[in-house]
Amino acid sequence: MSSGSNSGGLMSSAGLVRYFDSQDRNAIAINPKTVLAFCVLFGVFVQVLSLTVA
Amino acid sequence: MSWKEVAEPVLSRMPVVERPAGHVPFRRKLMWTAGILLVYFFLTNINPFGLAAGQGSDFFGQFRSVLAGESGSLLQVGIGPIVTASIVLQLLGGANLLGLDTDDPRDQVLYQGLQKLLVIIVTALTAAPMVFTGEFLPADQAVGQALGIGEFGVEVLIFAQIFVGGVLILFMDEIVSKWGVGSGVGLFIIAAVSQQIVGGFFSFSALGAPGFFASWYGIVFGDVPVSLSPFTAEGLQNLLFDPGNVLALFTTVFIFGIVVYAESVRVEIPLSHARVKGARGRFPVKLIYASVLPMILVRALQANVQFLGQILSSQWAGMPGWLGTYSDQGQPLSGLFYYLNPIQSRTEWMWFLGEIPASVEPWMIAVRLAIDLLFMVVGGAIFAIFWVETTGMGPEATAEQIQNSGMQIPGFRRNPQVVEKVMERYIPQVTVIGGALVGLLAVMANLLGTIGQVSGTGLLLAVSITYKLYEEIAEEQLMEMHPMMRQMFGNE
Repeated sequence: MSSGSNSGGLMSSAGLVRYFDSQDRNAIAINPKTVLAFCVLFGVFVQVLSLTVA
Repeated sequence: MSWKEVAEPVLSRMPVVERPAGHVPFRRKLMWTAGILLVYFFLTNINPFGLAAGQGSDFFGQFRSVLAGESGSLLQVGIGPIVTASIVLQLLGGANLLGLDTDDPRDQVLYQGLQKLLVIIVTALTAAPMVFTGEFLPADQAVGQALGIGEFGVEVLIFAQIFVGGVLILFMDEIVSKWGVGSGVGLFIIAAVSQQIVGGFFSFSALGAPGFFASWYGIVFGDVPVSLSPFTAEGLQNLLFDPGNVLALFTTVFIFGIVVYAESVRVEIPLSHARVKGARGRFPVKLIYASVLPMILVRALQANVQFLGQILSSQWAGMPGWLGTYSDQGQPLSGLFYYLNPIQSRTEWMWFLGEIPASVEPWMIAVRLAIDLLFMVVGGAIFAIFWVETTGMGPEATAEQIQNSGMQIPGFRRNPQVVEKVMERYIPQVTVIGGALVGLLAVMANLLGTIGQVSGTGLLLAVSITYKLYEEIAEEQLMEMHPMMRQMFGNE
C-alpha cells in the first residue's frame, strides 16, 4: 500500500486556505503555543490600555 | 517562469506555524480546536483601543454571518481577507495563470507563501477603508486629546490593532488546520452562525430583541396582545412573520434537513483492491461534491462589490445616480449597486410588510431578485468547478489517488487514465448540479428568512461544515482505534 502522494486520504476536505507538507528551510517556523499566547496577551493588553487611558 | 524566481526569496520566508512532528492524538486535536475557539470568542469581545464605542455601523452589514468576526472588535475583518484572497487564487489557479504545479514541493512552498502574502495585503486593504473613512469605526476624540496625537493618530492605532487581529485569524486557521480538526475558517463560520441561531431562539427582551421562545412565551401568556388567527390577514401575518416567526422556523429546519439529506445523496463507484482479494471499497461522488464552501466565494464577491459602493458613496459626493443612491443608513436605494445587492431578508422584498422604501418599485425588486438568483446559481456552479480543480478533487487527481491507494474499478484495466475516464462521467456533472442547487437554496433561505436572521448562505455553510466535521471526527476515531487504517487512508 503505497502512500506516495501527500494528499490527505481519498476525500480531500481542504479549507479555504491550503497547507502542504513541504516547508522551506528558510521559513520562520512559529510554535502554535506562541501564537495562542500572543493572541491572549494582545487581547489583554488592548483591554488594559482601553481601561487606563479612556 | 520569471515571477517565481523574483518572488521566491520573499514567499519562501513567510512565517509558518510549525507542523506537528508526529501523529497528534485525537484528544490533543480536540484540545487545540477548543483552545482556538475560546481565544476567538475572547478576541471578538475586545474593542480596539481608541474606538468610539457604539457609534459605528457594521461595514460587512448582512454579510457578517458568512464572514465571521465581530463588528467593533479586534476581529473586525473576520475571515473576509482570507476569502477574498482565496477568490483571487482560485481564479488565477483556475485559469492556470500562476504556472504552479501543486505536486512539486518547491511550488507548494511558493503557493503557500503567495497565499499568505495575499491574505495579509487584503487584510490591510479591508481594514483601511473601515477605519479611515471614519464612518464604520469612528475614532474616540477624547483619546486623541489625552495622547496628543489627534484623530488621525488614533485612527492609525485602530488600524494597526485590526490589522494584527486579521493576521491572527490567519494564524489561528493554520493552527487548526495543522494541529486540530477541520479548518479554522470553517470553525469561525460555525461559531458566528451558531451564536446568531442560539440568540435567535433563546434571547429575551432584557438582552435586546426577544428570541423565538421568548416571543411565544409572551404570546401564550398574553403579554404580547396580538391576534394569531390564521383566518384573518393580520393574524396570519403575525403568525408567519413577527412575532410568531413560524416561517423562519420552517426555513431553518428545512435547510437543516435538506443539507443533511443532500450530503447523503451520492453516486458510488465500486472499487476493489488490486492485490488483496475481497478487499472492497466505494468511492462516493456526493451531490454536494464540491461542498458548500465555494458559496462563500460567490457571496464574498457580492460583498466586495457592495463595499466598493459604500466606500464610493461615502467619499464621492458627486456619484452619479445610475451607479447608486444611498439611504441615510447606507443602504442602496437605486442604481447599479442596488441591483447587485443580494436580497438578505424578507423585509427587502415582501411589499405587503410595508418596510420597503417608497422609491423602490416592484419591478426593481424583481430585477434585483433575478440578478441575485442568476449570480448565485451560475456563480455557484462556476466556483464549484474551480474549487474541485484546485483542491485536487477533479477526475485526474482522484484517479491518481485511487491508483496510489492500490484500488481499481472492477471490470476496468488498472490504469489511471481508465479510472479518470470513468470519473469524468460523474464528477463534472455532479459538481455543476450541486453548485447550482446550493446557490438556489441559499437565495430561497434568504427570501423566507431564518431564525436569528442568519443569512441563508451562513446557515447552509454552518450545517454542511458541521456535517463534514462530524465525518472527520468519526474517521479520526476509527484511525485512533485501528492504527492500521491510517495506512489505508494514506496518512503516515
